[in-house]
Amino acid sequence: MTDVKTRIGDTVAANDVVLFMKGTKSMPQCGFSSRVAGVLNYMGVEFLDVNVLADEGVRQGIKEFSDWPTIPQLYVKGEFVGGCDIITEMTLSGELDTLFEQSGVAYDKDAADKIREANA
Amino acid sequence: MNGTEPVADAMRTRLEAAFDPRELNIVDESEKHRGHAGYQEGGESHFRVLIRSAAFDGQTRIARHRAVHDALGKDLVGRIHALALDIGA
Repeated sequence: MTDVKTRIGDTVAANDVVLFMKGTKSMPQCGFSSRVAGVLNYMGVEFLDVNVLADEGVRQGIKEFSDWPTIPQLYVKGEFVGGCDIITEMTLSGELDTLFEQSGVAYDKDAADKIREANA
Repeated sequence: MNGTEPVADAMRTRLEAAFDPRELNIVDESEKHRGHAGYQEGGESHFRVLIRSAAFDGQTRIARHRAVHDALGKDLVGRIHALALDIGA
């Protein structure tokens, strides 16, 4: 388990945006993972997708690493941001835009605005 | 929880004890997920919870979610497949 946590720590340190999810960004296998991956894809954010279904060690390890019981989990610049509910709320409130700006992560502001317009 | 108590009742008891919420709405959405991963016959797999309590005042989103996870306990959280949380102060 220690090895897994080290591996997870290295992964989130080496990649600006990491989404631990069920399935992949091109083929999500859970509605909640699909929603967060869809938001990031739509906003043109480059991110690493880690498919927890492909690695049982990571699937359990990420829950302990983050002290968070559910998947998906989003990391930006090594910091845990939240799961599906939090990312959805932050997308609609504009907080996710702010986080990306402060973190130097490129994203498409117009696309983010379109998501908000469609969900207003 | 004794294993036969409905999950929603156990959730309500624990959340009321922990947060004294002025609003608490627990919905079993399992039927909406029939045929999806995690669905089990009889439901009790997918829940949506709306909770409003002064206890969350000043807490970050992550802190609020962690507080709810902790109040529900590992046994309950581990038993359900999906938990959508809408938490407010």
